[in-house]
Amino acid sequence: MMRCTGALCIICGCGYAGLKAAGTYSRRVEVLRNLQNGFSLLETEISYSSTPLPVALRRAGEKLDKITGSVFGKAAALLEMNRGYTAGEAWEEAVSILAGESFVRREEMSVLLMFGHGLGNSAREEQLKNIALTREQLRIIEKKALENRDKNTKMWQYMGFCLGIIIVLVLI
Amino acid sequence: MAEVTYSWQDYLVPELRGLMKSGMSKHLAEIEEIRLRLGRPLVLRLANREVTLDENGMVCERLEKGIVVGRDLIERSVQVLSQGSLYAWEEEIRNGYITITGGHRIGLVGRGVLEKGEIKTLKEISGVNYRIGRQVLGCADSIMPYLVGKNGMFCHTLVVSPPQCGKTTLLRDIVRQISNGVGSLRFNGVNVGLVDERSEVAGVYRGVPQFEIGMRTDVLDACPKAQGMIMMIRSMSPAVIATDEIGKKEDVEALHQALQAGVSVLSTVHGGSLAEVKERPVIGELLSFKFFERLVLLSRGKGPGTVEAIYGGRNWERMK
Repeated sequence: MMRCTGALCIICGCGYAGLKAAGTYSRRVEVLRNLQNGFSLLETEISYSSTPLPVALRRAGEKLDKITGSVFGKAAALLEMNRGYTAGEAWEEAVSILAGESFVRREEMSVLLMFGHGLGNSAREEQLKNIALTREQLRIIEKKALENRDKNTKMWQYMGFCLGIIIVLVLI
Repeated sequence: MAEVTYSWQDYLVPELRGLMKSGMSKHLAEIEEIRLRLGRPLVLRLANREVTLDENGMVCERLEKGIVVGRDLIERSVQVLSQGSLYAWEEEIRNGYITITGGHRIGLVGRGVLEKGEIKTLKEISGVNYRIGRQVLGCADSIMPYLVGKNGMFCHTLVVSPPQCGKTTLLRDIVRQISNGVGSLRFNGVNVGLVDERSEVAGVYRGVPQFEIGMRTDVLDACPKAQGMIMMIRSMSPAVIATDEIGKKEDVEALHQALQAGVSVLSTVHGGSLAEVKERPVIGELLSFKFFERLVLLSRGKGPGTVEAIYGGRNWERMK
């Protein structure tokens, strides 16, 4: 009886880890899409109504999911505090929210950080170009992430359970 | 979202803010202008002198010893004061300055970006001038008795002053007093229409006047004076129209309309003396046919806002 319970625990545990690993692939695609949406919203705010950056960032952030929204929201908050942050510095600090997350890779981080360098120090056209470029880069990354997801999700889902079964067999 | 209140120091980059707190702490209330000019020393204009800050953050009168303003400082200053959104201020930059909370103004110079022959915006900003607006409540106390006529009406008044003598500050306080009323003169408050072409008198920021301009004052912000005055007369039935710095031909037309509507006019003009102003093309004419009933002459004699003289009557007799 003890053996059976133990075996079941190992299989379930490994299976869960596999599902988790598979989940990061879809989560990554989701985050990339959300970021692109955020930049589109920002673009609209800047090009149509010349909204000042803090307000534009806040409005874009409010329409996104929790994690990406918090990046935009934090950048807005830092600028609104008027502590002497430049837009680039505020953005960089806000992006660091994502740094520890398992579903965020170095690729998109570097795109986001690059965006910060061009933020806030030039005329409207330049700002819009910067946003468009960032969005385009994120789109390319998303495409790859999508392929990755399709390739790997199934594999990780099975692998977790298989690994669990192998361990159980070895132990028995 | 809670409304955050800013002081003018919040629009400075942290290093300047630090310097203001350490070296300038004794003179904070005196600062009138902070000037950043690329490649040249930082200059602070106080009430009656110019100083700079040296490398140790000490106040120093010899400007050449001051901290030299670098490109990085200017670029970061522009970012901080525009909250990273210079594009949102294009309209203001075209006029050369940005109004911030508190009614202070930040002037900018740089290289013009032209579109169809007109300035679209500035790039390569090379100079920033923080002009700290001050409100001196009661600075018009001593002259108010001269500005109210025997019939209890406010006289057509022109304030003549060289630059930086507190002309706008005085105008603001006169506006506040005629709007709220002056008990000691038995002058009840009247409606005042303030046409604030350069957002300087009321310092309107997002619709809220940043200075005290009185309970009965309507502000037409950032409108050309002549058009604005006529709009005011039609829409807000003011008893007094106040505006800063008249002197264009079209202003005269608007003043005549005000006269016909029985509205008193309060305005200012640049000038060092009565004789000098009389020589000016447009203002001179206005003076010659006695549009204005009172002339207030300012100077910096005893600090900004010194009332040098008040003229009135048929031949501009000196009243004070």
